[in-house]
Amino acid sequence: MTDWHAVARLRDLEARKRTAVTVDDTTIALFWIKGKVYALADTCIHEQRQLSKGAILFGKVICPGHQWKFDPETGEAEGQDRCTTTYPVQVDEDGTVSVSLERNEVAR
Amino acid sequence: MTAASFVLVGGGQVAAVATRTLRRRGYDGRIVVVGEEHHRPYQRPPLSKEYLAAGDDSGLELLPEEWTEANDVEVRLGVRALKVSAADGAVLLDDGSSLAADAVLLGTGARARRLPGIEGAGVFHLRSRDEADELRDALEPGARVVMVGGGFIGGEVASTAVGRGAHVTVLEAGPVPLAMAIGPRLGAACARLQQDAGVDVRVHTAVQGVNRDGGRLVVATSGGDVEADVVVVGVGAVPNVELAVDSGLDVDGGVLVDERCRTSQDRVFAAGDVAHHLHPGLGRRVRVEHFDNASRQAAVAARSMLGEDTVYDEPHWFWSDQFGHNLQHIGHAHSDDRMVVRGDLADPTWTAFFLAGDRVTAAFAVDAGEDIAVARELISSGLAVPDEVLADRETDLFEALEELA
Repeated sequence: MTDWHAVARLRDLEARKRTAVTVDDTTIALFWIKGKVYALADTCIHEQRQLSKGAILFGKVICPGHQWKFDPETGEAEGQDRCTTTYPVQVDEDGTVSVSLERNEVAR
Repeated sequence: MTAASFVLVGGGQVAAVATRTLRRRGYDGRIVVVGEEHHRPYQRPPLSKEYLAAGDDSGLELLPEEWTEANDVEVRLGVRALKVSAADGAVLLDDGSSLAADAVLLGTGARARRLPGIEGAGVFHLRSRDEADELRDALEPGARVVMVGGGFIGGEVASTAVGRGAHVTVLEAGPVPLAMAIGPRLGAACARLQQDAGVDVRVHTAVQGVNRDGGRLVVATSGGDVEADVVVVGVGAVPNVELAVDSGLDVDGGVLVDERCRTSQDRVFAAGDVAHHLHPGLGRRVRVEHFDNASRQAAVAARSMLGEDTVYDEPHWFWSDQFGHNLQHIGHAHSDDRMVVRGDLADPTWTAFFLAGDRVTAAFAVDAGEDIAVARELISSGLAVPDEVLADRETDLFEALEELA
């Protein structure tokens, strides 16, 4: 049974495009990209920068620290062997954004 | 028919990225990496930062043994490649053996520039892992460290030394640190980051020599003597072109390569610090000493070795982490370019865009890497964003860019 945590309002995320939320000591970066909400581990796997302070460009999330470019769907870093964690997201009819700490399994 | 054999000379970033690119793209022939150092290939950016600070070697290795074993890659360490045979492409090694090769990639890098008379005990250069280990031991709390050269490496070493409790003086020959790289206004703003951390930044100060008085060093400068326990020289690097010269390749300020990272000999390629590359976006040759450049050129060189039609034409990008700040630069500005500052140079974070006409040519940011991502797209695409939009921190540059694209 998936444990969902309500973390944000869709309206706020639409306006800000990106935000960081914390669930049980885990900081998650939320992104609003082309009409969809994505959740990734906020700490970049490269050098501990916050992805939530990064750029969203042409559907990709770019870490502000060293320009690693992540696919928000899969967590894959372009041109790198490594992958960041992505989390399941659910948006209720009333606009509540919830995430689960059960990591998405990524095919590599 | 025998399987192909590729030899990658130089055990650094270029060899590591090329190796991974070759295997990822399905090349199943022989790969031999020849490294002069006794360490397995490692990345250099941490050597002036976290590795220098505390010896943290996590993530330092680029091609761990279990990976090279699983991917059937030979790593030859402690051996120097002398020459690529013009006749058959074989690589001659200094142990007398030679490696047959269908294609060779030179990633021999660069070495720290030495200053005549600034040498001996207590004087350090920083390029290799061993040099970082030696320098770390010398950066004791209370040590008086004189950094010769106010460039990015100078700033990073100064930052790490301050973090280890040393007292740091930076000697810069020019009027402002980093003026050559980013111009005097931005250089002065970056020097303030150092000064705010307690570093004594002395400009117009040329170093003339080092004298010894018992255990201490006395650095003779155009501004008088400076006492030191440790002297670090960070005045640039010199490309390691000897093998290329001895192999008869065209060399001029680095190994000359075309857009595809191919040298004057068809089956020899070069990438990274050693390569003087014809950059299509700039329309001229440039040689840069950046991690990102080495990685991207290595990938292009690897694909060229496989016969793919690919060029390296992305804007050059580098970063520096110092005094708790993240500095990033992308592109190449011309001295005539206009500068548009987003934010204020007195603020904790700002970005400077350089423009020729309405086209962005380069950008430099302090703690604003997201703007550098925008600048990359603007440089590559040639799309024009009005100055007032670039300058206004209240505008969303990502939105402005996506509307244009």
